[in-house]
Amino acid sequence: MNTHKSTPCSDEKLNIFEHLARRMSLWDFIAVITLIFFLIGILFPFYWMTSSSFKTYAEIGGREPTYIPSALRLDAYRELFDPANEHFQDFMSNIINTIKVSVPTAVIAVFLSTLGAYAVARLKFKGKEFLLNSILVVYLFPGILLIIPIFAMLAQLGSRLGFEIQDNLVILILTYLAQTLPVALYMLANYFRTIPVEIEQAALIDGCSRLEVIWRVTLPLAIPALVSVSIYTFMIAWNEFLYAFIFLNQRELFTMPIKINTIFNDPSPRPHVVMAASTIMTMPIVFLFLSLERFLTEGLTAGGVKG
Amino acid sequence: MAVSTKSSPPPPRRRRWNSLQAREARLAWALVLPTALIVFGLVLFPAIFSIWISFCDVTLKNLGDVFHAPFVGLKNYQGVINDFAFEWQGFQSWGAAVTSVVYSFAATILTVALGLVASLLLNRPFKGRGIARALFLFPYVAPIVSVAFVWRWILDPRPSGVLNDVLMRLGLIDLPQAYLATRGLALVLVIIFEAWRYFPFAMLMILARLQALDATLYEAAEVDGATTLQKFWYVTLPELRYVLGSIFLLRLMWTFNKFDDIWLLTGGGYGTNVLPVLTYQFSFKSFNFGKGAANAMLLLLILLVFLIAYVRIVMRDTEEA
Repeated sequence: MNTHKSTPCSDEKLNIFEHLARRMSLWDFIAVITLIFFLIGILFPFYWMTSSSFKTYAEIGGREPTYIPSALRLDAYRELFDPANEHFQDFMSNIINTIKVSVPTAVIAVFLSTLGAYAVARLKFKGKEFLLNSILVVYLFPGILLIIPIFAMLAQLGSRLGFEIQDNLVILILTYLAQTLPVALYMLANYFRTIPVEIEQAALIDGCSRLEVIWRVTLPLAIPALVSVSIYTFMIAWNEFLYAFIFLNQRELFTMPIKINTIFNDPSPRPHVVMAASTIMTMPIVFLFLSLERFLTEGLTAGGVKG
Repeated sequence: MAVSTKSSPPPPRRRRWNSLQAREARLAWALVLPTALIVFGLVLFPAIFSIWISFCDVTLKNLGDVFHAPFVGLKNYQGVINDFAFEWQGFQSWGAAVTSVVYSFAATILTVALGLVASLLLNRPFKGRGIARALFLFPYVAPIVSVAFVWRWILDPRPSGVLNDVLMRLGLIDLPQAYLATRGLALVLVIIFEAWRYFPFAMLMILARLQALDATLYEAAEVDGATTLQKFWYVTLPELRYVLGSIFLLRLMWTFNKFDDIWLLTGGGYGTNVLPVLTYQFSFKSFNFGKGAANAMLLLLILLVFLIAYVRIVMRDTEEA
């Protein structure tokens, strides 16, 4: 940027614009305005979500919006968690269901994609190119296209083998794995390639087997990538809507997104409760991101994360 | 592999099975097998299978026995193409096919443009840039259900909706508007929402490229007396061409395939019905799975046409360059 020509301080009275003009160039000024514009646009919805969750029903249903709640009212949260409340939603069970789905998805995805990514990055085998290309095709297919055949296929399989396809969290985990494994594998393989081969070769010569090399040498060096892959897969499973929406029918098994959708579509609208539930669902993801931002930005760029 | 241990040569046949290369290859397959099985079983096979379903009459009755579903040829496709929800009916009712194309292109262009501005902004050094970059990612990482419902709540048709309140205070409108229930306006808002949610993705990718740019290019331009705008136009933009092109392609594909966003914002009503939502309606509202699959195949076909056109244009461009 052009450095401004600073004039020595003078006693003449400056209005705010002249003052600004001396401090920054035109481009700095445009940048500041744009930054403010972006920050308001990004943060206001999140402010509105959180603040609405602390409003009373009177504040939320009034003729004019309440921009700042009069006090931190927990009415909405009581509805979600307090069994004594007349509109009790039992949101705790939805939180547990979501955790039951997203934690196994993240753990299994990291485990399987580590093995696969190592093979792709380090070992030679026939059909590698074909495998990589066919895995990438996943990017092309819309979830809604896959859900019909998956539904039909599993219905058939389920009636033969005696398992339910609806209201089965294991099925949900499997479909999330299918969505996340390809990207996880790409992200990790890219990272493994940046680790010098010589370190692994030294371990091999010392008599370690391949699996020992992966466990003792490669994994400790790949921790940043492993963190970002696990957070990414966790986030996908935590946020997922479509598959859960179609595969879950019983209220007791609803994950958070489906439950929030149900509360939203309730005949008597209760926006503060929807906002409270949304706040609860958003906070963990946002905090994970803020605390691990540096790992994650790298990981997201490496894999071209689908969303 | 560079590592090769020389041992005394075993008999020829066993050597091939036992050679280091063969063992490594077997290990490699064992390592990728679980991933390959899951992806094949739950993505590639279903994708091929849905071609079959799209030619069959599949309803709730024979869903458990699809392999014996009656073959009906192109009937499902005819049904979709002649459906008023799919077909172009003039400017009052665009039909899902045209809406999808307009929606995806507009949303993608806006997403990439916003991402470009945001990345240029965050590429400038300033205090608190790290935190700003983290904040900029919020719309992208937050759950779609949460952000969609907050936006619906902001756009609420009652006078207590934030946008209504602000616009009425500013005197821009006299009466509260039902933004997401107005034809045309609803589509514009859904496009803006899409750009709001996904610009951080474009921003991340562009930022990574910007930070890898060679500073000497800018120094040379400065020596030549280029202004800030000229530097952007003649140095930055050409360097970003490929990253912009690939983001555009990726986002176009994903936006075209996206179900959640529109479903949660408008339910596909008021001129925002796109092909994924229509697929859902055929399959899970009228339980005509064959028609749903046919609709999804048409979606894929349109997408492929754009992909091929894109690849051809990009190829031609690189040949010229």
